[in-house]
Amino acid sequence: MSTIMMLLLGLFFGFSLNKAGLTKYHKIVNVFRLTDMAVLQFMMTALVVSMAGLYTLRGLGLVTFPTVPATYIAGNLIGGLIFGVGMALTGY
Amino acid sequence: MKFILNYIRKEVWSPYIAGILLGIVGILAVWLTNSLLGASGAFENLAGLIGKAIAPKLFDNLYFNFIMPPGITSNVILLVGVFFGGMLGAATSGTLKWGKKDAANSDPQWKQIFGPQTWKRWLIGFIGAIILEYAAGIAGGCTSGLAISGGMLLAPAAFLFIAGMFISGIITAFVIYRDRF
Repeated sequence: MSTIMMLLLGLFFGFSLNKAGLTKYHKIVNVFRLTDMAVLQFMMTALVVSMAGLYTLRGLGLVTFPTVPATYIAGNLIGGLIFGVGMALTGY
Repeated sequence: MKFILNYIRKEVWSPYIAGILLGIVGILAVWLTNSLLGASGAFENLAGLIGKAIAPKLFDNLYFNFIMPPGITSNVILLVGVFFGGMLGAATSGTLKWGKKDAANSDPQWKQIFGPQTWKRWLIGFIGAIILEYAAGIAGGCTSGLAISGGMLLAPAAFLFIAGMFISGIITAFVIYRDRF
C-alpha cells in the first residue's frame, strides 16, 4: 500500500519538476546567473502552498509532523555551500 | 476540459502552477505516508547496499549503519516514481527523445559554453554529481529533501542550506560564465 503511494507521489513529483523545466540545464544555471528565476518561483510556490496546507491540517488535528531535518548550523551551511558548486556545474 | 488537456501538453508550465502541484504532493506525502520527499537519500541507501556487498569492512561505519541504513527504502521507491514521472512529463509534451541523436547532450546553452562534445557533458555531470551527493550527505538533504521538505515544516536547517546553496551557486556560475554573466 505505502509502496504504491510512494510510487504515485514520486510520479507527480517528477512530473511537476519536468513541467517546471527543472530537468533542463539552462533553467538551473540561469537562476545562478540571475537571468531566469523559474526555479526560485517554483520552489517558493511549492514551499508556501505546502507550508500553509500542512500547518492548517495540523491546526485541525489531522496530521502529526514527522521529525524535521536536524539543524547543525555548520553542517547545513557548509553542505549548502558545496552543494551550490555541484548544482551550478551539473544543472541538477 | 480541453483547456486542461492543452495545458498538460505544454512543454514548460508556469512555475507557479507546477509549484502548486509540488506543494500538494508535499502535503499528501506528510499526510498519507508521514514521510518527507527526498531524492539524494535514496542514492545513499543504494550505495550502502552495493558497498556492503562488495566491501563490508569499508562500509561498516557510523554513517552507513545508523544515519543512512542501506536497503530498498521508501525513498528508493519514490525515486523510481520520480524517474517515470519525469518521463511522463516529457512524453506529454512530446519532447521524449528515445535514442535520438543529441539526446544525451541537447542543451544549446551548454554547447555554447563548454563545446559540443558529449563526453565532456557526461564528465562534468559526473563530477558535479559527486560534489552534489557528498554535500547532501553533509547537510542532511538536497534541494527536495532538505530545502523544500524541511522548509515546509519551517526547519531552520532548510533556510541555512538555501542560503549556502545560492551563495556558492552564484559564485560558481560567475566563474564559469565570467563576462557573459
